[in-house]
Amino acid sequence: MRLELGKIYIKDVQFGPETKVENGILFINKEELLKEVGGDERLKSIDVDIVHPGEEARIIPVKDVIEPRVKVEGPGGIFPGFISKVDTVGSGKTHVLKGAAVVTTGKIVGFQEGIIDMSGEGAKYTPFSKTHNVVMICEPVDNLPQHEHEEAVRMVGLKAATYLGKAGRNVTPDEVKVYETLPLLQQVAQYPNLPKVIYVYMLQSQGLLHDTYVYGVDAKKIIPTFIYPTEVFDGAIISGNCVSACDKNPTYVHMNHPIIEDLYERHGKDINFLGCVITNENVYLADKERSSNYTAKLVEFLGADAVIISEEGFGNPDADLVMNCYKIEEKGIKTVLVTDEYAGRDGSSQSLADSTPKGDAVVTAGNANEVIVLPPMKKVIGHPEAADVIAGGFAGSLRPDGSIEAEIQVITGATSEVGFGYLSAKTF
Amino acid sequence: MEKVIIVTNNDMALEKFKDKHQVEFVDGKLLDVLYKVRDYIHKHHKLLTHPLMGSIKPNQTPYKSVALSLKKSDELDVDSLMYIEKSIETAENLIKNKPPREWPENVLYDFKVIDFDLIYNALNR
Repeated sequence: MRLELGKIYIKDVQFGPETKVENGILFINKEELLKEVGGDERLKSIDVDIVHPGEEARIIPVKDVIEPRVKVEGPGGIFPGFISKVDTVGSGKTHVLKGAAVVTTGKIVGFQEGIIDMSGEGAKYTPFSKTHNVVMICEPVDNLPQHEHEEAVRMVGLKAATYLGKAGRNVTPDEVKVYETLPLLQQVAQYPNLPKVIYVYMLQSQGLLHDTYVYGVDAKKIIPTFIYPTEVFDGAIISGNCVSACDKNPTYVHMNHPIIEDLYERHGKDINFLGCVITNENVYLADKERSSNYTAKLVEFLGADAVIISEEGFGNPDADLVMNCYKIEEKGIKTVLVTDEYAGRDGSSQSLADSTPKGDAVVTAGNANEVIVLPPMKKVIGHPEAADVIAGGFAGSLRPDGSIEAEIQVITGATSEVGFGYLSAKTF
Repeated sequence: MEKVIIVTNNDMALEKFKDKHQVEFVDGKLLDVLYKVRDYIHKHHKLLTHPLMGSIKPNQTPYKSVALSLKKSDELDVDSLMYIEKSIETAENLIKNKPPREWPENVLYDFKVIDFDLIYNALNR
């Protein structure tokens, strides 16, 4: 499967009479965009705003971040199972509006998290302070159940990103990157002397506000399976995960998956990247056993010499991570784990809720309990009152001057468990 | 599914499960639920769901529901004991680090809905 990713660099986003990309500027016809995403009776109103890097602006609470993309050549369309039919994606050509992002905000539950600050201290922790963000502000009808609300907001984000992505269809990309993974036997034969690597890609799948979708299917209902890495670049995996802002994978991160991109970077040089095994994170312990057994079996069957495993979330998923590690290592296959930590303010407490001596190679994406003060912002988009009920905040964490004292776990993407962030560890 | 024991301090879970399952309602904090679950494990009931389900931290949500087998085994299930001990340790650490705050009624309701949904999905999969 071969995908050409054509990146169109977006240096500014503005409202204008026509939705188009011209000289690196994305112009948006606001009325047309609102018409495109509207029509869901579950939402009382939808509004849109734009914020830029460096602006004194805060978005709260962020539900999802999505990158505008469009399929230019090849089967299927972006976001299969939601926006497009379920044709297999991941081959042909896709254009990306690099530097633009759709951000959805909505007060689905009363306790809140998910902050993007476009400037100041908080901006250093979120990758989405560097993108020009088209913010979709959704208000539900009265008494809308949380499930319905989440789904409605999720769809607005996907529709908005699809609509904006189409503006890049006939634009010549500034940069083209080619990614290719061959069918298994050919891929193994292509680099016979390099170690064969599989990425075990764990998806949050515990229930309400903790879900992920694969080609439209709720990931808690899958058994582990193979996916070509390029399918992910076309939006085959969608986030419905609205809690734990710091270490959830927004749809944008799935589409720009840094572990997959890095494995491709080394592909053919010092490793042979065979592809991804997606698996879920379950509440029921027997389901954990089944999924980890299946993952280990599949990884062995595919002939991997080594595996990278990432988890998504806190607590319960640590058990799935450890089971995957243990069972894969038992088969004589080396593993490296990627996670973040809840190690207390000073970082000295036990980081994970589970462990195994076989987990002897672990990459940390940061300590989510670290405390930060976010300065007041001139402009707050979304629900400013939500700042007082931040899940990772303290009683009275919203100070009279508008600044917020909270743990970095409230910041979208701060401790991304696939490493889509800025934190790293140093030993002294 | 067959009848199970649900230990919970979430009255929504009590209300929705009481006709179908054996619900042990704990009038206490999240940690009291976990301690009660540990008691059941020592009486040879097997843990069915992860005590730290959900990404909402134990020092954020005040509610927790955990399912155990109704039937007792002949022996103590060591895996169950390991899960609950590690979960208690993690929860105690986080709560000590930053104690739970007081939440308004509407927020408490949302925590109940999510706790219930997660355990409901796990049992009706």
